[in-house]
Amino acid sequence: MELYEKTASELSSMLKNKECSSVEITESVYNRIDKVESKVNSYITICKESAIEKAKEVDNAFAEGKELSPLAGIPIAVKDNISTKGIRTTCASKMLENYVPPFNATVVDKINSADMVITGKLNMDEFAMGSSTENSFFKKTCNPHDTSRVPGGSSGGSAASVASGEAIVSLGSDTGGSIRQPSSYCGVIGLKPTYSSVSRYGLVAFASSLDQIGPIARSVEDIAMLYSVICGRDKMDATSKVREYPDFKASLSPNIKGLRIGIPAEYYGEGIDDSVKSEVMNAVKEFEKNGAIVKNISLPSTEYAIKAYYIISSAEASSNLARFDGVKYGYRAENYENLIDMYEKTRSEGFGDEVKRRIMLGTFVLSSGYYDAYYKRAKLVQQKIKQEFNDTFNDVDIIITPTAPSKAFKIGENSDNPLKMYAADVCTVPVNIAGLPGLNIPCGYDNGMPIGLQIIGREFSEQTIFNAAYSYEKTVGNLCRIPSLD
Amino acid sequence: MDIDIKYIAKLSRISINSNDEQKFRKNMQEIVDMVNGLPEINEELALDKNNAMILRDDIAETGKFSREELMKNAPEVQAGCLVVPKTVE
Repeated sequence: MELYEKTASELSSMLKNKECSSVEITESVYNRIDKVESKVNSYITICKESAIEKAKEVDNAFAEGKELSPLAGIPIAVKDNISTKGIRTTCASKMLENYVPPFNATVVDKINSADMVITGKLNMDEFAMGSSTENSFFKKTCNPHDTSRVPGGSSGGSAASVASGEAIVSLGSDTGGSIRQPSSYCGVIGLKPTYSSVSRYGLVAFASSLDQIGPIARSVEDIAMLYSVICGRDKMDATSKVREYPDFKASLSPNIKGLRIGIPAEYYGEGIDDSVKSEVMNAVKEFEKNGAIVKNISLPSTEYAIKAYYIISSAEASSNLARFDGVKYGYRAENYENLIDMYEKTRSEGFGDEVKRRIMLGTFVLSSGYYDAYYKRAKLVQQKIKQEFNDTFNDVDIIITPTAPSKAFKIGENSDNPLKMYAADVCTVPVNIAGLPGLNIPCGYDNGMPIGLQIIGREFSEQTIFNAAYSYEKTVGNLCRIPSLD
Repeated sequence: MDIDIKYIAKLSRISINSNDEQKFRKNMQEIVDMVNGLPEINEELALDKNNAMILRDDIAETGKFSREELMKNAPEVQAGCLVVPKTVE
C-alpha cells in the first residue's frame, strides 16, 4: 500500500512512530498527482516547492522531539475560493485568474498552525455556482470512478482529489450542497458544518448567510480531526459563534444504542433513483442493527426549499459579486468608453454564463416591485423550514436521507439545462437553508459508481453525526475506495 | 411573466449581446417560473435571537498590510493610485 492511499489518522500515527516522514508522504501524493492528474484534473494550482519545504520543516520539528498537532505533516488541498496568502486564488473564474491574496483565510491560518502541508488549490464551479464543476473557467474535473462522469460540484476538485489519492484530505465550501453532493458522487466523506461554527473570513463570498467551509476525507476519524482544526470563533467573522468544541476524534464512539433516526418521506419520493433509495435504506438497516431506533417522519415544506434557496442565494450573490468591477483587483476589460462601460464589459467578459444567470436572478428578485413576492416570501419559507426541522428534532436525534437523487451524471448531460442541474441539490439545500450540519458518507455502489447517504443533525451536533457515521463505518467497513485510474 | 432581460442585465452591470439575449431570456424565464409558486405564509419575519452577531469594537487597526501589497492586484496603478476612467465631467 502506498502512503497516499492511507488516511490522515493512519499517517499521523506512522509519523509519530517514525515509520515514515512528512516528506515521504508529500512526495507520495505528488507522485500520484503526476500519474493521474491528467485524467482527473482536480487542481488549478499545484504548490510542490512550498509543500516539500513545509514537510521538511515538520520532519525537523519531529526529529527535535517537538510536540506537534495530530495533523502535523499531513498533506491537504484547498478549494480555490479560500484565500491563501501568496498563492493565486481564482474561484475558477477568469475574473480572478491572476489574483494573489495578500492575506490568508482564517481556516488557512489554522491549518498552517496545525503544521499541515498545503499541496495546492482545487478546481470548482466558478464562484462555487454549480453542481458539476463544469462551470470552471480553467478545466473540467472528472469523476475518478468513471472519467466520463462529473465529480459533482461545486467542490468537485476537493472531492475528486481525495477520492483519487491526489490529496489525503481537503477543504471545500458548501452553500447548497457543494461539499456533500460531490462527496456522494466521488465516494468520500464530506461535512457541511453548522452555520457559524467555521469562520468564513477569507472565503470568497457567494451567499454569506448559507456558506460554510468544511472538510472532505476518506474516514470519519479524519473528518473529526480536520473539523477540530478549523472550527471555532473568529473575531474576523461576526457571524461565528462563541462556544467550546470538544476534541471530536477523542470523543468518537460507535455506540448508537437508542439513537433515534428520522426517515423523512419527502426525501424518498419522486425524482430519487430507486438504486439510491435502496442503498440508503439498506444502510439504515445497519444503523438499526446497531441499536438505533428508526422513525418515519415528515418535513412537508421540503418541496419549497429549492425555490427559496435559489432566491436567497442568488439575491446574496448579486450583492456579493458587485465588488468585481475591474477597479481594485481582478480582471479589467481592455477597451471601454467610460466608467459604466468598463464595469459592464469587465463583468461580461470576466464572468461565465452561470454566474451571470445567478447575478441576474438575484437582481431580479430584489428589484423594485418584486422584493415582496420573491425575496420576502423565500425568507418566510426559510423560517418555516427551520421550524419544521427544530420540531422534528424533538422526536429524533438525526435524520438520514439520500445525499443526491442519483449517482454522478455524464459530463455534458445537464450543461444546457440549468433546472436539471439545480435538481441535483434537492436533498442538500434544506440543510443550508436551516443552518444545520450535514454529512455525506458512502453507503454503496451502483455499477461502480458511489452512492452516498446524508446524516443531518441539530445545530452543533457534529459529534452525534460523527458517532453515527463512525458506527456505520465500523459495521460495514470503510467504503471510500481509491480507483486505480490506470 | 415576461422578464425584461435587458433591464435586469443593465441593473446587474452586465451587457448581453444580441446572440446571447435569446438564450439568457429563455434560461431566466425558466428559472423564474421554477422559483414562482412559493406559498404565502402569514407570519412575520422574526429575528433569530440565538444568532446575534458579535461585532468588534470600532477601533482602526493599522499596519496589517502595506499600500503596495494591496495595490499589487490592481489592474492599473499610477503614482500609488488606482487608475479609473474619468468620472466627473
